[in-house]
Amino acid sequence: MKNFFKALIALFLLGSLQAHAAGTQYDIQVNGLACPFCAYNIEKKFKKIEGVQKVDVELEAGKVIVDMAEGAKLTEPQLIKLFKDAGFTFKGVTEKPL
Amino acid sequence: MKHSVLIPGLAGLFLYSSLQAAPMTFNTALAVGEGEYVLRQQFIGLQSGHDPSGLKRDRRETTALTALGYGLNNQWALFATLPYRKIDLDLGEASISRHSSGLGDMSFFVRYTAYQDDAPGKTLRIAPFAGLKTPTGSHREKDRYGLLPPSVQSGSGSWDPFGGVVMTYQTLQFQFDGQASYRFNTAADGFEAGDIARLDASLQYRLFPRKLSRGTPGFLYGVLEMNLVHQAKNRYRGHADPDSGGTRLFLTPGLQYVTRRWIIEGAIQLPLVQDLNGKALENDYILRGGFRFNF
Repeated sequence: MKNFFKALIALFLLGSLQAHAAGTQYDIQVNGLACPFCAYNIEKKFKKIEGVQKVDVELEAGKVIVDMAEGAKLTEPQLIKLFKDAGFTFKGVTEKPL
Repeated sequence: MKHSVLIPGLAGLFLYSSLQAAPMTFNTALAVGEGEYVLRQQFIGLQSGHDPSGLKRDRRETTALTALGYGLNNQWALFATLPYRKIDLDLGEASISRHSSGLGDMSFFVRYTAYQDDAPGKTLRIAPFAGLKTPTGSHREKDRYGLLPPSVQSGSGSWDPFGGVVMTYQTLQFQFDGQASYRFNTAADGFEAGDIARLDASLQYRLFPRKLSRGTPGFLYGVLEMNLVHQAKNRYRGHADPDSGGTRLFLTPGLQYVTRRWIIEGAIQLPLVQDLNGKALENDYILRGGFRFNF
């Protein structure tokens, strides 16, 4: 009986992890980004988008890493416009499951 | 008292403001995001006490300058600046002191990013700008000696258009800004301050962190700026004042700490050269300190 409960808890935790990992991580290359104060303009833009869970700006690498919730997506035209509006130039994006 | 000796137009020279991680004494070409606001508060202390006229004039001005920037779109940005000025003038020879304080002249200007070349970790931008200084400050203040001279008034009473072009080259290690600008001062109540032409340059070099780590660390910049300022002679009722206007060259060392959301900075403007007309009062130094906030 004890083992049964352990297995049940393990199954529950695994399910939770899978549910959390169902989002997408976007690794976005941006040109023209060269100071911390400017980087915040990008963060503000992303935080207005529904489904954005986390935004990290990697200044030296010229990258913005965005975690999206399950079901939420970022499209290339959307990213081109977002970076243009923030004053920068979108270069490219790769995505992977969280 | 003659209006001449007090170089009133120069007071407005030092009320330039920029809003991004950028120079302390003039503007920048860096972007304000569309629909975003940036606020800057700067405190400026201007001391002028070297008096070739023998009147032992000593002029002190403390200004709190508030500037707000708004990104209309990715190319156009709108700016407004409003100074609060406290001015004291002592005439040592005559044992007279004159003072005023209050809101100064509000300025508005637009900036257009005409050229933008972005690459990984760097950007080059060129942006012309144009604006208008409006007569919101009082220019008819009196004291017990009568009407205060223009250099002690909080405002000029005139509508003064200005314009110029600014360029910025920014990398992760350093930033260079350069600006050329001109202000057409117009007349109010018979007095017209001389037009002002400026050339400015600024180098900001990242001192800390020496090596970049992951994420978005704060940057400590060492700043070195130069300002070449020429002002034409003032005119009073159509006559040029021989003791006004001239050329100044300032060197401005400073420090600036830049984070994602705020910037804190301080600098001192030191006059290297003051080639002034007649007996115009010379500047001793200008202190600048302030912060910017990205919200």
